[in-house]
Amino acid sequence: MKRLPVILIALIFTFFCLTSIGLSEAIDDFVGKKGTIKIAGGTAHIPVMKEAAKRIMTRHNNIMITVAGGGSGVGIKQVGEGIVDIGNSGREPKPEEMERYGLKMHKWAIDGVGLVVNPANPVKALTADQAQDIFSGKITNWEILGGAEHSITLYTRDESSGTREVFWKKALNKGSISPKALFVPSNGAMKTAVANDPYAIGYVSVGHMDKSVSPVALDGVAPTLKTVKSGEYKIARGLYSNTKGDPKGITRLFIDYLFSPEGQQIAADKGFVPVK
Amino acid sequence: MRASNDAIAKGLFLSCAGASAIITSAVFFFMIVLGFPLFEGASFVSIWTGKWSPYEGLYGIGPMIAGTLWIAFLAVIISLPLSMGTSFVITGLGGVRLRKILFAMVRFMTGIPTVIYGFVGIFLLVPLIREYLGGAGMSILAAGIVLAILVTPTMVLFFSHSLMAVNPSHVEAARALGADRVQRLLYVMVPEAIGGMTTGLILSLGRAIGDTLVALMLAGNALGMPEQPLDPARSLTAHIALVKAADYDSLEFRSVFACGIALYFFTTAAVIVVRIIGRKREGMA
Amino acid sequence: MTRSVMEKLVTILSWFMVCLLCSVFLVFVGYLLLKGLPAFDTFLVFGHVKPLEAILGQARVFEGLFPAIVGTVYLVLLSTLLAVPIGLGSGIYLAEYAPPSTKKLFSFFFDILAGIPSIVIGLFGFSIAIFLHKHFSGTIGPCLAISAMSLAFLVLPYIIRSTQVALESLPNHIRKTAPALGASRLQNIVYVLIPRALSNIVSGIILSIGRCAEDTAVIMLTGVVATAGIPSSLLSQYEALPFYIYYISSQYADQTELSNGYGACLILLGICAVLFILAGCVKKSLAYRSLHRI
Repeated sequence: MKRLPVILIALIFTFFCLTSIGLSEAIDDFVGKKGTIKIAGGTAHIPVMKEAAKRIMTRHNNIMITVAGGGSGVGIKQVGEGIVDIGNSGREPKPEEMERYGLKMHKWAIDGVGLVVNPANPVKALTADQAQDIFSGKITNWEILGGAEHSITLYTRDESSGTREVFWKKALNKGSISPKALFVPSNGAMKTAVANDPYAIGYVSVGHMDKSVSPVALDGVAPTLKTVKSGEYKIARGLYSNTKGDPKGITRLFIDYLFSPEGQQIAADKGFVPVK
Repeated sequence: MRASNDAIAKGLFLSCAGASAIITSAVFFFMIVLGFPLFEGASFVSIWTGKWSPYEGLYGIGPMIAGTLWIAFLAVIISLPLSMGTSFVITGLGGVRLRKILFAMVRFMTGIPTVIYGFVGIFLLVPLIREYLGGAGMSILAAGIVLAILVTPTMVLFFSHSLMAVNPSHVEAARALGADRVQRLLYVMVPEAIGGMTTGLILSLGRAIGDTLVALMLAGNALGMPEQPLDPARSLTAHIALVKAADYDSLEFRSVFACGIALYFFTTAAVIVVRIIGRKREGMA
Repeated sequence: MTRSVMEKLVTILSWFMVCLLCSVFLVFVGYLLLKGLPAFDTFLVFGHVKPLEAILGQARVFEGLFPAIVGTVYLVLLSTLLAVPIGLGSGIYLAEYAPPSTKKLFSFFFDILAGIPSIVIGLFGFSIAIFLHKHFSGTIGPCLAISAMSLAFLVLPYIIRSTQVALESLPNHIRKTAPALGASRLQNIVYVLIPRALSNIVSGIILSIGRCAEDTAVIMLTGVVATAGIPSSLLSQYEALPFYIYYISSQYADQTELSNGYGACLILLGICAVLFILAGCVKKSLAYRSLHRI
């Protein structure tokens, strides 16, 4: 029993070593690169980032890619400050941002932003005026629009979100958003929130839309991949991956991967319009 | 040799204590220094009372202070009768076996992670509120109820310890005079333990004010000034967790440090009040 | 008359409150078990990868909880390593060396530290990370090391307090024996007092470990991310169980992920329960062993 602390320490140490050994002794692939890529920012990009990271990491064992969210604002700031290698944004970086940080942007897909409601909600189409009134708080009950008798729960994103900016500018015409709107931190969270609340309305990246939420047609045009591609649905934005200066080393490899046929296919699979 | 060893040891221990104390001050110091530009840029009053709208250049954390206070006070108001009742049963009204089981259950509850309370709250409580009471579901009420459940076990432990620390001879004297369990509790134990119980109450309030996850997950994080319990709200703590976005030099980000200052102020005030009560009791004894 | 009415009321209400609390507890635990147990299989922890390969680091786990569990373990180990020596030293100083006025002052500081909300501690850690990033090296940012340091700040007051209380509650006659035989203050502390108080001290440390394992607010600001794999160095970002639970609760992509979330809750709850019981056992067994050394 006296030896217990020593044995315990030895066990912990061994555990420590074992989980690191595998990574460093792995056989290199023909590309033979190693390092870490830190990615953060736009939440719309996350499904593509995660898939790309997974494929690269399974093929090349010495590469580590971490993916975080935070929104477009976070992405731009963090890549500019050098905290991450790639900062994703769902909006074009502003000229001041480009100049201040010396950013290079890489647009690899186009994405739409559409209104969504819960599948149980009978309301499936709205005019732009109705949408503005709902979000500003003028219309507060679904009854008026033909839905259930219950107050409307608004969901919105924080001001640094690229998704919000596009929606606010183009769909809401820069109208005000009610102070009672609930905040969600990402596209994924918006989808989950609307899917769980029968009286919810929110806005989300078209790539994120699936069976758990119902898209709402705005002024007659439904937000789908087809209408975004054809240009009929006008509320769209590019998906950018920004780097501080020209990307180097494995970061450049990753950016190139996004533009490669395989990378563009991933973007298409996840519901975005590839640029190539 | 021994004497110098002693001196070295004392110095070592003293530096540990000093380092810990320095950390406490450093936290406050960092908040002030990093939040300072905010007080230059905007008027001092509007920071604490104004609304939050970065696009318009407004960085007021007034709604967040209101949100924190609404949620914390609601939680303590719900928790107080729960804790009192449970501690009464543990320290007087219940049988010996029941006391042990209850005590163990309460102590176990203090160890349950906050995030799990929030998780269950989202999927169990919020839909109920939304269907039967209206509104968004995510509200001050949802956060207040779950926070109350979070805070109750600690309050129960505090109350129980205070009640059990009452001088046994006083209790025995009451028993000898024919007082039954309830009477001994109400007329002897509680009055003597009231100081300790108040301390527990205030510290639990401090805990409720400082909690992040329950408010973040359950109160909706809306920016408006809350007006009734079914309204969504944003607490100071949730605001800090949400605003990681911005520029590290921007006023928006620095307002987060103003939140930190407000929180530091509230919880330190609670500690000071508790110390004053403690000193008064010592004076009386 | 009104007195006995009030007494009856208090009795009835108290029992009612107990029933309420107990039912809330049972519903809570029952609901978690109901939703979480079905999720318990190797997929929950290791995803599509074979368990042995994942543990040896040969294959990466993408859908399972393994990286989060490892992240939490590393985090807890590091922060405990940082907090225990300083906490122990401070507690010893307060209990054994400090003059009364200094003691009061330090106690005041530590009470304040204990009361600081965890998110404020996280903010502090984050500011330190940014400060280091700007003035020392561009490679430093929010990471495992910063998180461990911040968590150490968080649990420091608890370790200090439990050490101090453990030492102060030792009976006077034990305190005086060794010095009477010629031992120095240091020898008294190291050979007599600490072994006697060890069970309470260790129990306090174990509870602090639990606090580190479950905390979310601090790590949210200091380096935890949703997808990072197993941390390769102290300066890398990492995953952790409590953050995973929070993340899943707000954005789960499908029922499998939600199920995994419940499973993660059970695992975290299990870890905390084990630590809790361990703390209780340590208290009893160490007390037994130290008494029998006489």
